[in-house]
Amino acid sequence: MSKALEGVRVIDLTVWFQGPVSAQYLADFGADVIKVERPQGGDQARGVRSIKSLEIGDWNQYFLVINRNKKSIAIDLKKPEGQEILYRLVEKSDVFLSNLAPEMLAAWNLTYEKLSSINPKLVYATNTGYGRFSKVSKPSFDMTVQALTGIMARLGEPGQPPIYLGMGSGDAYGGIMSALGILLALYECRRTGKGQSIDASLYGAQLYLAAPHLQAYLAGHESSALQHSRRQVENPLWNLYPTSGKWVFLCERNEDARFAALCRALRNPAALADPRFGSTARRRENNEALIAAIEGETLKYGHAELMKALQGAGITASPVNNFADVIRDEQAWQNAYFMKTWCEEVQREVEIRGLPVTLSKSPGEVHSLGPQLGQDTEILMMDLLGYEWEQIEALKAKGAIP
Amino acid sequence: MGRILHDVTVLDLTRQFCTALSGAFLADFGARVIRVDLLPSAGPEPTGRWNHEADLIHRNKLSVAINASTPRGREVFAALAAKVDVILTDWQRDELAALGVDYAKVSGTRPDVIFARLSGFGPKGPDQDLPVIDELAAARTGAMPILPQPGQPPVYTGAGAMHATGMLAFGILTALLHRMQSGEGQEVDVSLFGANMYSSALDLQAFLAIGHGDRLLNPISRLDVSNPMSGSVYRSADGRWVTLTMPDTDRWWPAFSAMVGLDANDARFDTHEKRTAVNRLALIGELEERFSRRPAGEWRRMFQEKQLSADIIEQFDYPAHDPAAYANRYIMELDHPSFGKVKTLGFPIWASDSPARLESLAPCAGQHTDQVLHELLGYSRETLHELVDAGVLA
Repeated sequence: MSKALEGVRVIDLTVWFQGPVSAQYLADFGADVIKVERPQGGDQARGVRSIKSLEIGDWNQYFLVINRNKKSIAIDLKKPEGQEILYRLVEKSDVFLSNLAPEMLAAWNLTYEKLSSINPKLVYATNTGYGRFSKVSKPSFDMTVQALTGIMARLGEPGQPPIYLGMGSGDAYGGIMSALGILLALYECRRTGKGQSIDASLYGAQLYLAAPHLQAYLAGHESSALQHSRRQVENPLWNLYPTSGKWVFLCERNEDARFAALCRALRNPAALADPRFGSTARRRENNEALIAAIEGETLKYGHAELMKALQGAGITASPVNNFADVIRDEQAWQNAYFMKTWCEEVQREVEIRGLPVTLSKSPGEVHSLGPQLGQDTEILMMDLLGYEWEQIEALKAKGAIP
Repeated sequence: MGRILHDVTVLDLTRQFCTALSGAFLADFGARVIRVDLLPSAGPEPTGRWNHEADLIHRNKLSVAINASTPRGREVFAALAAKVDVILTDWQRDELAALGVDYAKVSGTRPDVIFARLSGFGPKGPDQDLPVIDELAAARTGAMPILPQPGQPPVYTGAGAMHATGMLAFGILTALLHRMQSGEGQEVDVSLFGANMYSSALDLQAFLAIGHGDRLLNPISRLDVSNPMSGSVYRSADGRWVTLTMPDTDRWWPAFSAMVGLDANDARFDTHEKRTAVNRLALIGELEERFSRRPAGEWRRMFQEKQLSADIIEQFDYPAHDPAAYANRYIMELDHPSFGKVKTLGFPIWASDSPARLESLAPCAGQHTDQVLHELLGYSRETLHELVDAGVLA
């Protein structure tokens, strides 16, 4: 099968998560992604040894999964000789992507002005923390930026601490936005022959992530900024309910027929045969009482038993699974959301997050996990950049490459 | 300034926020996005208040109103579908087939069409036709139970649906680039299930690799976080919360300890190992107490002064008044024809030469029926009149 982004070469000067995952999306669809790393230690994510105090096992899935399908070249960009190598790479590339601080890129003579003067077709992409036109200068990590957007503060029961959307959640969204920006600029370049500079910041992406609620707030609906209790949702039929086991998410419209079906599923308990719940409007008015009444019933069941009863009555619902359930979910494996792939580091097949975007004729693929630091340095310098072996030796002597 | 997607026409057959927003994203960058409103349309009743949602998720789009319950309506619909480059939809497959706008039908007359669909659980497998509901997908993805504090109900964030917005646009652009080179169209599928799996990125991958671990299956108390200086939240004196992300504690400890009033050489905390393992709970206890001594604003000034990776957990009033949000056009002010000056969400991506732009707000249903059918299908004024009179168009 053909690859959608075959022929697109990407210089991936990124670390940690947002930048690497952005380039991963491109690499999955066939772009030739060359990760540029510092010779000493490379991307800091190579050093991750634990996640939530859990040992990550014998392979570093944090680094290896989001850097899959990439090559690695090690260059010391602090040295002018190292910068010269990168300039040659720019001549041969379509995209330059970095999530390093703009000041650092400027110090290494890797500004848009400089690189586009070498290759006017270049798409120059950055992932800043707070946007190119922001005057703030402070460190930007996923959670501290997410904190500013207001997304965290509206989640959880009233009075509970704010809730982080999950490890890497903001970086993941910044990553897909960055990949989108790059494809837009590539599309334009294919038509006009001219590159441009784009930015997908962590802050901008996460404000967009907040869209449904932030837009309501901007329009004057102030309560959308606040925590709301599941005991008070307007439609009790679209809500989370506890069982003696896992929670169950019930997803039904507030309509008489649907309520009747729910009552049937719960064996028509007296607690629900209450005139306060007798119409759409009354169920909305008496929402708190109805939620308590439904909860009183669902607690009498285990989740599997409740799901069976709900499905029997044609009610739309799902148990609230945990990761142990998900990794066994046949639906995820059949759609290649999970895949098995060879891991050089441990010489066996490992299980990885796969391909969440399914293209029927030019699908993504995973052919290798993240590269060894600098594994392709010499071959890329000779075959792609046209260096002679003596020149490579000289650059090694100067410490521009390892 | 160029509009990047000016040569791309998209047929927008969407009902959900996340899918419609994906269409708006393409329209923001210049695509001609034609939304089909089916007649008879119930439409939202006018409330007298600004329909802020429509003016976000349908901005920059055109609207065509068709009565697809009539044979002629279906003919017009099919003719329109055969003229576009991209179909973007969250409708169920049987519904699309009944209207003659499923992939098999459309690609029969237009082999290079890109047919992008939001599904609930992916194009294959036993659950491929389950309803397209983000709550169902999120519940199945495993992250909901671990987001809150212990003993609290699971948390639905909605982030999965928003990931789907981005992934659909990404899939469409990838397919457009592929078509540019090969001439070939194809189907694109993004599911809410897959999107939720990518929005709970790291925990899920960790569990997949490790295969066990209570800390990935159950909520972790904020007073039991793995690293007291990273991923943690503490309540300040005014009740507002602060959060820290300083995973590499060695780097930050000298400045951080001084700021919270701990001795940098305190023997309990003088190595990363002691801070995050041996005396982890003692450090959390100290920080819990120390952060409660000052209001959040004071902490922010000190974080800023020492350039620490830490901040206040804000509510939406913060971005709504943040000059940086406006300078970058993440949020914009606009002059609404009916409601005057309003604030609206802007664009997540900046492009130097061909930026996103807001040219029009959400169209009324059928606002562009005549224009679109004339331009794309060459319908004459007479034909259009006739179809409107017959109740086929509006």
